Amino acid sequence: MGYKLSPLAFDYYLKALRNTYRIFAPVLQKGKGKFAGTDVISYGEINSLDDIMLDRKSYFSPKEVLYPIRETLFYFLNDETKAPAINVKPILILVRPCDLNGIGKLDRVFLNNGQEVDFYYARRRELIKFAMIECVEGFDTCFCVSMDSNVANNYDMAVRFDEDNITVKVVDKSLITKDLTHADTAIFEPAFIQENKVKVTIPEVDLVTKKTFDHELWEEYTSRCIACGRCNTSCITCSCYTMQDIKLSDDKKIGERRRVWAGCHIDGFTNMAGGHNFRKKNGEKMRFKTMHKINDFYKRFNEHMCVGCGRCDDVCPEYISFSKCINKLNAIVREETLHE
Amino acid sequence: MGINGKIVTKNAYRITKTRNKTALRIRVPGGYIKVKHFTLIQSIAEEYGDGTVHITTRQGFEIPHIDFDKIAQINKKIRPLIESLGLDIEVTDYGYPAAGTRNISACVGSRICPQANNDTTKIARKIERTIYPNDFHFKVAITGCPNDCIKAHMQDFGIICTTDPQYDANRCISCKACVKNCKKNVTGALEMNNFNVKRDAEKCIGCGECILKCPIGAWSRGETPYYRMVIMGRTGKKNPRIAMPFIKWSSEDVVVGVIKNTYAFVGRHIDRSLPKEHIGYIVDRVGYQVFKQEVMEGLKLNKKIQIAENIQWHGYYYKQDNQFKSI
Amino acid sequence: MNNPYLPDAYKILDIKKETQIDYTFKIAYEGALVGGQFMEISIPGVGEAPISICNYDDSSLEMTIRKVGNLTDQIFNLEKGDTLYMRGPYGNGFNLDHYRGKDVVFIAGGTGLAPIRKTIDHFVNNPDEVKNLEVLIGFKSPKDRLFIDDIDRWSEKNCVTVTVDQGDDSWTGKTGLITTHIDKLDLTNISEKIAVVVGPPIMMKFMLFELIKKGFKEKNIWVSFERKMSCGIGKCGHCKIDETYVCLEGPVFNYTTAKALID
Ligand SMILES: Cc1cc2nc3c(=O)[nH]c(=O)nc-3n(C[C@H](O)[C@H](O)[C@H](O)COP(=O)(O)OP(=O)(O)OC[C@H]3O[C@@H](n4cnc5c(N)ncnc54)[C@H](O)[C@@H]3O)c2cc1C
Ligand code: SF4
Ligand code: SF4
Ligand code: SF4
Ligand code: SF4
Ligand code: SF4
Ligand code: FES
Repeated sequence: MGYKLSPLAFDYYLKALRNTYRIFAPVLQKGKGKFAGTDVISYGEINSLDDIMLDRKSYFSPKEVLYPIRETLFYFLNDETKAPAINVKPILILVRPCDLNGIGKLDRVFLNNGQEVDFYYARRRELIKFAMIECVEGFDTCFCVSMDSNVANNYDMAVRFDEDNITVKVVDKSLITKDLTHADTAIFEPAFIQENKVKVTIPEVDLVTKKTFDHELWEEYTSRCIACGRCNTSCITCSCYTMQDIKLSDDKKIGERRRVWAGCHIDGFTNMAGGHNFRKKNGEKMRFKTMHKINDFYKRFNEHMCVGCGRCDDVCPEYISFSKCINKLNAIVREETLHE
Repeated sequence: MGINGKIVTKNAYRITKTRNKTALRIRVPGGYIKVKHFTLIQSIAEEYGDGTVHITTRQGFEIPHIDFDKIAQINKKIRPLIESLGLDIEVTDYGYPAAGTRNISACVGSRICPQANNDTTKIARKIERTIYPNDFHFKVAITGCPNDCIKAHMQDFGIICTTDPQYDANRCISCKACVKNCKKNVTGALEMNNFNVKRDAEKCIGCGECILKCPIGAWSRGETPYYRMVIMGRTGKKNPRIAMPFIKWSSEDVVVGVIKNTYAFVGRHIDRSLPKEHIGYIVDRVGYQVFKQEVMEGLKLNKKIQIAENIQWHGYYYKQDNQFKSI
Repeated sequence: MNNPYLPDAYKILDIKKETQIDYTFKIAYEGALVGGQFMEISIPGVGEAPISICNYDDSSLEMTIRKVGNLTDQIFNLEKGDTLYMRGPYGNGFNLDHYRGKDVVFIAGGTGLAPIRKTIDHFVNNPDEVKNLEVLIGFKSPKDRLFIDDIDRWSEKNCVTVTVDQGDDSWTGKTGLITTHIDKLDLTNISEKIAVVVGPPIMMKFMLFELIKKGFKEKNIWVSFERKMSCGIGKCGHCKIDETYVCLEGPVFNYTTAKALID
């Protein structure tokens, strides 16, 4: 069912939804960009249409809403362990199709990898509904079409933001309020972007061999990548974390264990006691990330991890373009297979 | 030819080594100028000079080889250049009303430079409006961050733009990028404590490097920009020395106010028996405490501000150059 | 919903000093285990770390821990009767069926002996289950030796070679890098012989190279990997190599799989 709302009516609708949901969307964080006088767009709770930032891509992905950067797993209290309660108010989150697909990748890791379900991810995930932002134009660095993630259908609601009206399609009936039933109905199926400026060709999974790993391509990244980790922190699909224990009293019995995001580009990711490190060179880190995104995740889950949101390109201070890397890799793999 | 050196100098023309030839100095506050003015500069250099221009150390232009008797004509022509300064004074056909206070120089600042904590051009222009056409010989420069590319430390008043970094522990992934960098390249104000970053506010110089290094935006800029002011640095034939910190974590109003008040201070204390006495030597003579008291007079101090209790300038005296021997 | 991150408190039954920096902790524990699996052990507010199970029976398990850092330092301050937190067991461990009826050599470098200790012990106690059993162990120096009593016991009936990189005045045993002792193994049946190799990364690298050179078949070699681990349950990503999660599919791998894993 579709509805057409004026901006004002949409605000009333959001207001009504806020009784039941906390609503998250890309918002402009004024003055919070890293350079002086710049802003950053990241996900935050919104109150009204004006809070939603749609003109530019969010620098940080929506993953922090369902997978906090730092999360307390539990407290130790004497011999007991206790997981903290979380705000159980349901969440509605406005995401673009690439990110919606990206969250599917997080699901694979947290819900489907190995025997165990990640308790903390799962309990937040259950609270979340998705309002998909119709995205037909994309941005300069997006390559979602190549990654098959330009289309998403598992939304609870889809929204088209036009200059003077907003059209919504509601799939989950519980998202219908009287603000909608009083509005004009409309026939609305979200459209999806069909072509990006950036296109990549993923090398066929099985054609990537040890030779590809040993290729000098990776040396280039050793000289360019500074291992800052921005490509990991901004990525919608990077899911890695590290545990931290904090002593809350001198008595050994009270403490907190939390997890914080980690990234395979950041030094220390593979450090073992004794100082052994499995990927010292930054080119090796780049290779590891690349393979995870477009090769080995597929071997495990039958789908690629990367959704082509292009954030890693946007944020890299060294202007390393992941889409370029993929295409270079593809050229190398084709070359290698030709010569076999 | 009879020329009143005082008058032409005040009008921003200078006495040059070539008899009967002068040079026009064009102010470019903050080194920022719209290129449309280049055609005017070009035409003056070609019509009245020798077709060359010198880019001065203070970021102005100097058009050499001009006949003194062309000054009046040129003054009429440069009106748009003076107008472009955006001053609160009435612009006339008589050229620059003063030349003493040197062109305010500035590094490129946050319009371009990623390190910069502020728009130095804007501040330079604001200060220009405040102090021009005062005529004492002050040198003022503004630099976007403590890298000090403009060499604020060689000025009478060096303004260093800073920021008060804000830490959001909930975003920190304990990667230590900020800590390592501050230790290696700045003052070591940061330390990791229980996976959180602790900042020693006394050691922090507000350079903003931590914000630049953080991959997750755990550090961000505070809402208010701050300034560090270093004072009384100088070159010259007597006692060259580096400027020393006078105020830290100052508001813009205070740094601008200090410079403004200094004109009155100089007016009161300058030794008029000398051809010109530079501000640094006046402060040396009357003492830092008197200077401090007089330039701070009436200024509304922001809460975070810190003012040096005492300043000890270093540098050296040419006359004490006694560690050399002929071979 | 089950929360796999919550550890339980267990009692330390006994602590045995193996070397200055390696202690074996015996912990009250009931539950099914496989040698070579690991536990995530922790002290509240200090940290958590994966540690191999080196021995177990119906009511206890043993872990030999090397003091190398934050958590392990603190664990060394614990005493008999204190509690330790654990969750697990994780990983596949050594599947005895891969070795049953075969001519097997267990090769361990240093603390690498811990994860295979239980498996060796099993075959020493059940000699009929294997065709032939050999053990080759290398330590840095005599004072780094672990499980001295066990090794003596194993040596009674089996061919056990212990070598140290560097001997001392009282050392009368073998010296030299562990790789130099491969020739002393019974290599008559090399194309069928099974090798289980566990040790620090550098030792593994050279040992595997030598074994292949000598004629061991890749499919007959088993290794156990150590990687940085945070979760043990396939979520944190630290232990991943290619599509393989060491905590899930490992830490024990057949060499045909292991050699294809590129970090
Ligand atoms: C499957 C598996 C089984 C294991 N089994 C055992 C076992 O049976 N017995 C055992 O003792 N250990 C075992 N380990 C290793 C054990 O997990 C580590 O020794 C332990 O995590 C150390 O924790 P810690 O807190 O004491 O050290 P930490 O303080 O955490 O120190 C270790 C960390 O600090 C850093 N670090 C430490 N030393 C250095 C250095 N010299 N240079 C640079 N960085 C350094 C590294 O980042 C490293 O990750 C096993 C590991 C795995 C993955
Ligand atoms: S790897 Fe880059 S393009 Fe792909 S999902 Fe992550 S941030 Fe987006
Ligand atoms: S690319 Fe790196 S940080 Fe991202 S999920 Fe994979 S291993 Fe983790
Ligand atoms: S953002 Fe760029 S420089 Fe930073 S780790 Fe990623 S690839 Fe390397
Ligand atoms: S602003 Fe500069 S000095 Fe202050 S903590 Fe950050 S890096 Fe260090
Ligand atoms: S750089 Fe950012 S994330 Fe890393 S330790 Fe510093 S504040 Fe934390
Ligand atoms: S230890 Fe976390 S994924 Fe393997």
